[in-house]
Amino acid sequence: MLYFRTIKLGTKSLLLHPMRSLLTVLGIFIGVASVIWLLAIGEGISKEAQRQIEDLGAENIIVRSIKPPDESGGNFRQINAFGVTRNECKLIGNTIQTVKRVLPIRELTQKFAYTGNPNVKPIDGRLVGCTSDYAEVTRLEIERGHFLTTREVELNRPVCVIAARLADKLFPSEDPLNKQIYLPEKKEYFKIVGVLKHRNATAAIGGSLAAQDFSLDIYIPVTTMRVRMTDQETKRAGGSFSSQLFELSQITVQVSNSEDVPKTAELVEATLRQNDPDRQDISVVVPYELLEQAKTTRLMFMMFMGLIAAISLIVGGIGIMNIMLATVTERTREIGIRRALGGKQKDIILQFLVETITLSIVGGITGILMGLLCPIVVDISRWGLEYFAPQLYAGLPEVARVMRPTIVPISIPVAFFISVVVGVFFGLYPAVRAAQLDPIEALRHE
Amino acid sequence: MSQTSTRMAAVIRDLQKHYVLKSETVRALRGVSFDVPEGDYVAIMGPSGSGKSTLLNLLGCLDQPTHGSFLLGDDDVAQMTDDELSTIRASRIGFVFQSYNLIAQLSVVENIEVPLYYMGNLNAKSRKRSIELAKMVGLGERLDHRPTQLSGGQQQRVAIARSLVNDPYFILADEATGNLDSVTTEEILALFQRLNDEGKTIIMVTHEDEVAEHAKRVIRLRDGEIQIDEAVKDRKIFTPQQIQEIAHNADVASRGSE
Ligand SMILES: Nc1ncnc2c1ncn2[C@@H]1O[C@H](COP(=O)(O)OP(=O)(O)OP(=O)(O)O)[C@@H](O)[C@H]1O
Ligand SMILES: [Mg+2]
Repeated sequence: MLYFRTIKLGTKSLLLHPMRSLLTVLGIFIGVASVIWLLAIGEGISKEAQRQIEDLGAENIIVRSIKPPDESGGNFRQINAFGVTRNECKLIGNTIQTVKRVLPIRELTQKFAYTGNPNVKPIDGRLVGCTSDYAEVTRLEIERGHFLTTREVELNRPVCVIAARLADKLFPSEDPLNKQIYLPEKKEYFKIVGVLKHRNATAAIGGSLAAQDFSLDIYIPVTTMRVRMTDQETKRAGGSFSSQLFELSQITVQVSNSEDVPKTAELVEATLRQNDPDRQDISVVVPYELLEQAKTTRLMFMMFMGLIAAISLIVGGIGIMNIMLATVTERTREIGIRRALGGKQKDIILQFLVETITLSIVGGITGILMGLLCPIVVDISRWGLEYFAPQLYAGLPEVARVMRPTIVPISIPVAFFISVVVGVFFGLYPAVRAAQLDPIEALRHE
Repeated sequence: MSQTSTRMAAVIRDLQKHYVLKSETVRALRGVSFDVPEGDYVAIMGPSGSGKSTLLNLLGCLDQPTHGSFLLGDDDVAQMTDDELSTIRASRIGFVFQSYNLIAQLSVVENIEVPLYYMGNLNAKSRKRSIELAKMVGLGERLDHRPTQLSGGQQQRVAIARSLVNDPYFILADEATGNLDSVTTEEILALFQRLNDEGKTIIMVTHEDEVAEHAKRVIRLRDGEIQIDEAVKDRKIFTPQQIQEIAHNADVASRGSE
């Protein structure tokens, strides 16, 4: 009953200056909302990073071929082969016990065209030579048709599977299945036997390559690629030719048991470097290790975000304290009256504490509500940005575009608790000051 | 010694109050002794700085004397802690201030209840009593009004109702009519007389002889000492008709301004 009266009174006093109370609440509101927001966005980003790494496959080891920097500028330059070879690929598969299978992969950037529709311009994309296991290991999912079969790979068939976005672009109004795709640079036709589902990009691996965007890929049997295109890749750029010689762009080593990944990675590395320990044309990426790293990074990220949020809460708290000190001065007379009419010091402390705690709880609750809106607001602002400033939007990092803010459940009680603590902590000093006023002096105050 | 039948509301013996400042000590009260029997009506007078307010603050338990004793009923106030003083103020003392001192956020009836709130005595019964007091001072129609919506005289009547709510030993009024015009002053004095007739003890500080003439007894202070302590000769007394009439007029005035 009495506490109810105190709370009612506190609310009344606060409503006497609605604007001031509102601004004070705003400090806590922003603090609490930012705790939840920053943690949710931090969690969203690290979840996305983790997902991208997991898409690479925690049980995989990836060996990328790296093109060495051009040394000579002359025209008659010796073209050296670089990168991981088919033999090495076989060797790893045959000699290392813990390896389940090894996928050879060769990638080229190509133009893709569809001659059946004159309105469709050729599109730049990625031509990937691979085997039938590729879909399973890289978790590609088929929308229609089928992925490359073992038989198609063995028989060097001129068939391909295309990614969803490419299919949408090349065949806006037709069914792509069984159509022929034309590669103008190679003067080759491939028959489409399958179309993939949409999927998001994976993480950039080891700095050797940007995040893998699968959306404009065409997959053909690696054998067909070898037979029809050889290992030499010549490109014309601005009148001069550049040539590369490499057997494979990547091998993906799948390990039977993910616990064996670190050990196997060492063996793979040792196998590849047995002749030349300083070999520069390959890089071994272990998603499993990246994952471990990402977890520590995530922790640090969350701590950093938490720190920023904590600072904004403290700023909010100082705002409360500032207002309450002003309020105490302003209400010195009232304090004097209350003391004269029998209010004890602790009654006065309680009265002012109730006010600050009310402010901070209101800020806390509204802040939590605002915090819960985070995913929606992020979606809306992405949508708005994409609509009104598409170029800016396209310039955003992949993570910022696909990341889903994830509310960290613990952040809600923590934010609420902190807002109350801030209220008590920053309200206590003004309240005690109010209580310690001399009643006679306070009564005389104008 | 003969046993007197009247009980004492307050017994003051050699009360002294010194304010210690940096350069000097101000001896605001230099040994004041007097008794206030229950039902008395005392006016404290004296020039500015003579210690009237200081004395009243001591009587109101807002301050502790430097020396001397002050018996309130059976308790010696001089020995009490801050919390005990607060309890006494909440339960047994009624204050009426020159500047009314109502709390702006609270309605008329809530203002009247404040001492009960600090006594922890708020309930339906006390609410009824507060409403009755508001009616008694002629503000029964304005229970939910805010102080800012009332005239000075009305605010002072709320303050008087508030001073009565805890059934105090005495009502202390420091220049209670100082801010009011002569008509409203009459109104307040009529109310005081009525309360005194009903047995309430009143101690008021005033500058004005016309106000003091309504009391039963005048104590004149000078330089912190009692100069004169005498009964009022030719005390001005409102007749019951006058009290009725004033109360009625005040009532009409407060309704009319609605
Ligand atoms: N808190 C204080 N500190 C120091 N001196 C004080 C304090 N309060 C009062 N005094 C001094 O004590 C003396 C008596 O003051 P008091 O307020 O009791 O006078 P008063 O009779 O009420 O005067 P007035 O009629 O002007 O209200 C004065 O000299 C005053 O300066
Ligand atoms: Mg005075």
